Amino acid sequence: MGYFEQAILAALLIGALSGLVGTLVVLRQRTFFAQALTHATFPGAVGAAILGVSIPLGAAVASVFIVGVMTLIGRVKRQGNQVASGILLTAGFALGVLLQGLNPSLPVKVDSYLVGSILTVSSSDVTLVAVVLAFAVLTLVFLGKQIMFSTFDVNGFRAAGYREWLIEVLTLVLITATVVTAMPAVGAILAIALIAAPAAAARLVSRTTTQMFVIAPLLGALSGLVGVLLSRSLDVAAGPMIALTAAGLFLLALVLRRLVAQARAPRESGVRRPPRTSLRLKS
Amino acid sequence: MDVFTSLITAFDLPFMARALLVLVVLSLVAGLVGVLVNLRGLEFISDGLTHAVFPGVAIGFVWGGRDGLFVGAMVAALLAAVVLTVIVKRAVTSDAAIAIVFTAMFSVGIIVVSRETNYVGQLDALLFGRLLTVSPTEVNQTVVVCLIALVLVGSTLKEQVFRAFDLEGALAAGYRPLVLDLVLNVAIALVVVAASSAVGNLLVLAVLIVPGAVARLVTNRLWLLFPVAAGFAMLAAWVGLAFGYDASVNGGVDLPSGATVVLVLVVGYVAALVVRLGLDRIRALGRRRRLVERVGR
Repeated sequence: MGYFEQAILAALLIGALSGLVGTLVVLRQRTFFAQALTHATFPGAVGAAILGVSIPLGAAVASVFIVGVMTLIGRVKRQGNQVASGILLTAGFALGVLLQGLNPSLPVKVDSYLVGSILTVSSSDVTLVAVVLAFAVLTLVFLGKQIMFSTFDVNGFRAAGYREWLIEVLTLVLITATVVTAMPAVGAILAIALIAAPAAAARLVSRTTTQMFVIAPLLGALSGLVGVLLSRSLDVAAGPMIALTAAGLFLLALVLRRLVAQARAPRESGVRRPPRTSLRLKS
Repeated sequence: MDVFTSLITAFDLPFMARALLVLVVLSLVAGLVGVLVNLRGLEFISDGLTHAVFPGVAIGFVWGGRDGLFVGAMVAALLAAVVLTVIVKRAVTSDAAIAIVFTAMFSVGIIVVSRETNYVGQLDALLFGRLLTVSPTEVNQTVVVCLIALVLVGSTLKEQVFRAFDLEGALAAGYRPLVLDLVLNVAIALVVVAASSAVGNLLVLAVLIVPGAVARLVTNRLWLLFPVAAGFAMLAAWVGLAFGYDASVNGGVDLPSGATVVLVLVVGYVAALVVRLGLDRIRALGRRRRLVERVGR
């Protein structure tokens, strides 16, 4: 398998995984959290490059640390989640740059961790993505119902005798694993586009959450594929191109939704349909 | 002892003095704008704005070098601030939409830069700034832009605070939140522009978020928040710069200055957090003891 075929395979798998887990991120409204996580993996990757261990391992260790700190700060009065995410996010960047500055002899270009370089992913990276994808699919097949229950009705979930923290930990693990595995391909900054955009697009066009969980991975894989092909034919960086494709699909879904709503509106005999709220959480 | 002497002597060098000047001006504005960002919970939107300004920075830089950078950033910032205000106002958005739109804009910026030949080094400078090589014209630009932001927010400060704490009250009193939001978002965007040549596009967020968060930890008094935030930011800038200078002169370690300042900010935040938690614990213990004494009597 040539490096280009491998890049396409990686893009497909990473896109599918991001779309699948992104649906959880969007439905549970953890976008800023996921974004902070993607940014904060950057120092982990730089540290791993310095120590010579595998990049996803370094990013994973950094992520676990960061989730811990974030939970701690989030509980402090007058601080909250957004502050915690914001501070960790910039701290991550600063730390990454600092580590890079301390080791000028570093063989790899640190910028590639920021915007990704899908053409240089190794076959072990691809295997890792496949494993995480399988884990995510199995989790959603077996525990999907509980996860959705806890997402849409926490109190009901608790009252029904389930343990909420288990689901919370599980989704955190899934999100972290996705962010870590997506980073080599699309980079610390752009990963959030690949995670949020397919899921948000799927939410616009699907009627049930089950449809979302099917459509989002497909859209993600499509973004990966189209992004890599476009980047080759236009001769630009692959990571940004994938992110842009994903965002384009989201825009397309938005327009599609508008058109469908307009086409349907006359049939409703002038009465404006209330917005569909079934897939929306209260903020 | 060397560390302490370089707190003063480092700034005899003109480029260090320039860096300090830029950071002090930024700190002043960050104190004001950052506290409002914190009170309104706009951290996520600020992050989006920094990303949205980036394509402007990149396109301007590719077309016109360092001067073009400033013009491009200005245009992009004003555009982004207006678009953002409208999006949020129409409430068709969730945080996912914001993340998607602004990451897409960031991608455009990266693609523009990636078409250039000397791509990696330039990207570095655009993302993380080059605090120690800011030119005198850039200092002037920064000061002017910061002043505009300062005037914008300063002249509507009372209304901004009113809006932050009581939206309905502000509405009933006849204020127009849309205008206030626009002013604040433009001010945030201006800070991003002002800081982009010095601390870079990715580290701006620290200047916007951390001082405000520290001020909230330190005091409960509303009007103290602003001076505390600004003072903290200045102190961190001073210590960070001096530390970086000392490390490179005496230690022989070449620290990137922007990142050093940001890390000093974060360390300060952690210290404030620990002290605050400790004080709360002590106070809670004291209250319990008094309660026990009263019950025991």
